[in-house]
Amino acid sequence: MIIRKKYLFYVLAITSSFIAAAVTGVDSFVGGQPAFIHDPWAFAFCLFFVGAIITLLISLLFSVPIKGKSIGAKVLDPSFKRVRMVQKNEVKYHLTAGLMNAINTIGYCAIVSQIQDPSVILSFSQIVILYLLLMESFIEKDVPTLVEVQSSIIVAFGAILASISLTGEFEVLPILIVFVVINPTWAIFSIYQRKLKIMKVHNRPNDSINIRFWNVVFSFIFITIILFVFDVFTSGTHLISGFITAISPDYFFLLALTMGTTFFSYVLYIRSLGMGKASVNSALRASTIIFAIPFSIILLKLGVITNFSTDPVMLIIKVIGIVMIIMGIISFALTVVKAYIFIDVKTGRPLRETMQKLWNIRGVSHVTITSGKNDFIVKVSTRTLMKGYERIIKKLDEIEEIKKYRWASVLKDWEKI
Amino acid sequence: MISAYILITMHPGKSDKAIKEMRQIDNVAKISIIAGEYDIVVRAQVKNLEELLDVTDKLQMIEGVNKTTTQIIEKEIALQ
Repeated sequence: MIIRKKYLFYVLAITSSFIAAAVTGVDSFVGGQPAFIHDPWAFAFCLFFVGAIITLLISLLFSVPIKGKSIGAKVLDPSFKRVRMVQKNEVKYHLTAGLMNAINTIGYCAIVSQIQDPSVILSFSQIVILYLLLMESFIEKDVPTLVEVQSSIIVAFGAILASISLTGEFEVLPILIVFVVINPTWAIFSIYQRKLKIMKVHNRPNDSINIRFWNVVFSFIFITIILFVFDVFTSGTHLISGFITAISPDYFFLLALTMGTTFFSYVLYIRSLGMGKASVNSALRASTIIFAIPFSIILLKLGVITNFSTDPVMLIIKVIGIVMIIMGIISFALTVVKAYIFIDVKTGRPLRETMQKLWNIRGVSHVTITSGKNDFIVKVSTRTLMKGYERIIKKLDEIEEIKKYRWASVLKDWEKI
Repeated sequence: MISAYILITMHPGKSDKAIKEMRQIDNVAKISIIAGEYDIVVRAQVKNLEELLDVTDKLQMIEGVNKTTTQIIEKEIALQ
């Protein structure tokens, strides 16, 4: 099926958010179990222990070929063939992402164990968008534009308003954990997952199922090491109690449910990371806040949440927050200008060097050397045409090997999924 | 795997219907409507040149397509 790429990106990111909201609901139920409520460390260990098993099983199932294509390629990620060993060039990214995910999960479990309402848990983590914008301006090729900064701020603050607890709770420690632990680790995790997704493995685009599988494996290794060291220094028993809880049938299936669902949320998120910057993805992921509300109501009906404020002021604040999130997301979606640039170069100049010069220009997403009428076909993406001129055209003019170029703005595009 | 850009010039007023038909062709990975010298850029991904010929043949059969220029990708660097 061929659909508009823009839609695919938003469908992936928002579906991932929807699943994430469901997972948070399940997590708050699981985290509220007697075995975990006072031991978030054991909870984090259990999640990755069971997560590694369940992720391996799902990944193996998705590796089964049907009519020459794996199930995973048909339903989740066309780049997926089968579960494979991690490649040498992926290791450093997996190590960083795994460590960040392990620390992030410990912080997350600490919050889930303390608070019942999922919409509170998700609250200030949306500020991560601003962390990402800052990091991307140093790491990625594309410095955020004014529109991106504005939209991100609108989404981040909208998310804060929308996630003010309907139960009226506001606790300092969870907020502190979010700012000091969850946000920085999530920002680094997202950037490294994106680096993995845009990497090529065996001359094919890297697939999100293997990335997720290996991330869970590395996270499990790190969380085991962290807990072991922590237990040794504090004479604690978190690791052992976590292991005993994880293999107990009462908890194993609950943990398998939460990690199995998380698998789908992350695979879609990683896929969308391959299509857009981590900050834009996180902004879209803020829609989790909106989806969390119905799940909060379901939890209330099921008796998991006991308090539920119907204070009109609180509800109005939430609605304002939701409107801000939607406005921010729309503003992201409507402000992308894409173009092809057809380039001819002077004869006698090495094409590889020119290719590298073109690739170094900010906003360039594809550089191809082609046989035929043009020497290069370059695809660029920019927030405004003015930025396109300032960042791209001016830089093209500086490349002396270029004889002639023609800019062709993309009016509409579709991509096979 | 061979990738190629097929640059298409259209007769005026036929684009919408033509795009619908292009979206049905196997091995077409991307379609972009552009402003400028060409009207449509199609990116094809095929196993061999024979399949590429099939794609260009099918494109040329579509009503409204005036001219196609195929450019095979020899090397690529991409963000995704």
